[in-house]
Amino acid sequence: MSESLSMQRIDPEWAWSPFEPSSKIPWDDARAAHLFRRAGLGADHNVLIDARQRPPVVIVQELLAQNTEESDFRATANLLAETVMAGGDPRQLSAAWVYRFLYTPNQLLEKMTLFWHGHFATSAEKVQNARMMWNQNQFLREHALGEFSELVQRISKDPAMLIYLDSAVNRKAHPNENFARELMELFCLGEGNYSESDIQELARCFTGWEVKNKRFRKNRYQQDSGTKSILGQSGAFDGEDGIEIVLEQPQLELFLVRKWYRFFISDEPAPADELLQPLANTFREQGLRIAPVLQQLLSSNLFFSQHAMGRKIRSPVELILGSLRCLSATTNTQTLASGLLELGQGLFYPPNVKGWDGGRTWINSSTLLGRANLISKVLADDSTRFAGMSFSDYLEARQIGTPRQTIEYLSRCLLAIPLSDATQHQLLQSYERSSGGKELKLRALLHAVTSLPECQLG
Amino acid sequence: MHISINSSRRRFLKSSLGGATAVGIGAAVPACFAEAAQRGNTRDERILVVVQLSGGNDGLNTVIPYTDEEYRRARPKLAIEKSSVIPCGNDLGLHPAMSGMGNLYEAGQLAIIQGVGYDQPNRSHFESMDIWHTCRRKDQPRPDGWLGRLLDTLQESAGGDVPALHLGREQQPFAVVSQRVRVPTVRELAEFQLQGANRDALRKLLDSQIPSKRQETDSNALLSFLQASTTSALVASQRVAEAAESYHSEVTYPESELGKKLQVIAQLIDAGLQTRVYYVQLDGFDTHAQQPATHEILLREWSDAVSALIRDLDAHSHADRVCVMTFSEFGRRVAENASAGTDHGAAGPMFLCGGGVRAGVTGDPPNLVDLHDGDLQHQFDFRQVYASVLDAWFRTAPGPIVGEGYDPLNLFM
Repeated sequence: MSESLSMQRIDPEWAWSPFEPSSKIPWDDARAAHLFRRAGLGADHNVLIDARQRPPVVIVQELLAQNTEESDFRATANLLAETVMAGGDPRQLSAAWVYRFLYTPNQLLEKMTLFWHGHFATSAEKVQNARMMWNQNQFLREHALGEFSELVQRISKDPAMLIYLDSAVNRKAHPNENFARELMELFCLGEGNYSESDIQELARCFTGWEVKNKRFRKNRYQQDSGTKSILGQSGAFDGEDGIEIVLEQPQLELFLVRKWYRFFISDEPAPADELLQPLANTFREQGLRIAPVLQQLLSSNLFFSQHAMGRKIRSPVELILGSLRCLSATTNTQTLASGLLELGQGLFYPPNVKGWDGGRTWINSSTLLGRANLISKVLADDSTRFAGMSFSDYLEARQIGTPRQTIEYLSRCLLAIPLSDATQHQLLQSYERSSGGKELKLRALLHAVTSLPECQLG
Repeated sequence: MHISINSSRRRFLKSSLGGATAVGIGAAVPACFAEAAQRGNTRDERILVVVQLSGGNDGLNTVIPYTDEEYRRARPKLAIEKSSVIPCGNDLGLHPAMSGMGNLYEAGQLAIIQGVGYDQPNRSHFESMDIWHTCRRKDQPRPDGWLGRLLDTLQESAGGDVPALHLGREQQPFAVVSQRVRVPTVRELAEFQLQGANRDALRKLLDSQIPSKRQETDSNALLSFLQASTTSALVASQRVAEAAESYHSEVTYPESELGKKLQVIAQLIDAGLQTRVYYVQLDGFDTHAQQPATHEILLREWSDAVSALIRDLDAHSHADRVCVMTFSEFGRRVAENASAGTDHGAAGPMFLCGGGVRAGVTGDPPNLVDLHDGDLQHQFDFRQVYASVLDAWFRTAPGPIVGEGYDPLNLFM
């Protein structure tokens, strides 16, 4: 893990100041692609060309301004979801979410919805109710770029979450500690920033909060109305009060900002608190609103520096759906949904209450082979189209004729770091030796590029 | 059909000598590797299979102090009937779903260690699991896991096969993370290879990727990691496919995920794979609500699968060189909660199975009166159990791996 990068101290002031392009660090394809990969799933080359006409700060503002789904798109996406929900199988729901990822005009909103799904992780495996999972997903999307306090208050009354954490029943005589523990450990403060007694006292605040007939309700006969002492405050607190006290804790902003840093900037090395502090201050000063922090983070010097570019391992969603999106490709969403589950990122199926750890944990020999195999399956499927065309027509429409140009184009669209000359040469050789017609050969080349170690970096 | 391991081993070595090896990361081929090809298959290396019960197994309802009135008082709903437990040793009984473990106990192939935990227990699943996996607390650096550190010492004898394998769909356990070795994860034997029409060309292309020597001021550690992982995935998939071809067993395994995984392990062991550590997980032990039905299903799945594995290894004369170690990140609270479940606790039992273990119960029955925050106090530190495995089973000094000052217990013959 010894990396020269981790050795140097990064100046926080420089890090979070807005990135201003220069001749040395231009606002070019590579940086525009980086922004769209991280703030969304990636963009077709035409989108990048357009984005370069405006400064990065403005592009980030545009992405953040799309904080509600376009109504036409939402109508279509919801109709699809309603259709699969009629079947009642939550696994079909994953495909409805895949559809959103591939087609949404609101990329950052969708990316943040995925972030919150991992943060407030709830699995259909246990909840076993498609409607509840979908309702949770809709409210996460609604508030994904809104206020954190609202998200926490809402998730605490979310039937899917309460069922997932065995908190659908919570009686005065035996307060259930599970939700109180996860609220502090995983949602707000991080392990070690509270005591066992804080958990027991906070659990008392949630007594009487239950799920009845698939709906949240407060059962006042089971509410413990006594005095509780939580995190240094005493009073006859109820659940909402308890959450407010947790939200006031100064550890909260660092805890969340650290997660956003990993989600948007780099897997490793772990940033020092000192580096995160300015962002944490923004979060608190802005009343725990999410958008101002993301505006600062995504348009910062650090975000567009070598500390961030190519410093994240792509999640299955980022690799598979992102690559498709970068090539305006569409395919069978059901194949993608079950494929993502196989690769460890099933939508609506996080592994546990902690969500996805990400980084190196995405990668092992099974998932590496699995990534290559899923892409192989998608490319062998006749229903896979690129901007509605065959892959060779798609390239032709972009004036890309030779294998060498194809490799160059794919590198520009899909890769966060350049390929070595040797690797480009091997790809060319591999293309020349491959059999079949032009379309097959080109698809095999695309498969090879997406299977390279370089393409697992985003 | 039967494949001679020696010839397939040589073929495999030949195929992998060109690129990086399964053990090194783009390093030169270690000398031991070439020797291993000459030496062929040694079938006497000891093997450890780790079974992780995830979520916090309720130890009190696994190894039950069924004669203790305090047990019934604390658990009016959850206490297991005296009449149904499977007796094992003084005043203790196994959960009725554990007939397989009961048989192992009778056959002298089961060791139970009571009250295993650690000081200042952490009740977060994730933090406690990390403590068990790394032997270190959060405020210390944790670059690797305890088994990863063991692998680093075993490399010399690894003979070209991956030194450890994780079977399962979960992400790789922290315990097997090493600073030098890549441990493959195998989800399904059938899926564990490249597929598709152009797979041979792709394998060739990926095989020929030499770790980059990019002339930059900084190297990208993630890229090196991805390159090494890709190489090791290709090598392992080829080798595992070869190893799995020649196995035949009379033993019927339970139709469960864990049963399937353990059957694959028996297959690989019998094929002479030189892997020394196998790691599997069984999840679902976080029984906050409606515990009885869930716990019974899980204990049966675990007990049936592990006892089938031991029977199978017996039939193939491997039982004396394989030890199956089971643990969980914590036990549950002594008192039940309002939802017919139990909340996070502290100490709990560990289990060692196999022909080489010193059978019986180590430690006293749990003290249900002298509690700490409503939880059992531990009698043994989990690192003492690890130290016993390292010392007696692997003949490796435990100090550098688990830390100094953890005395081994007498758990092996």
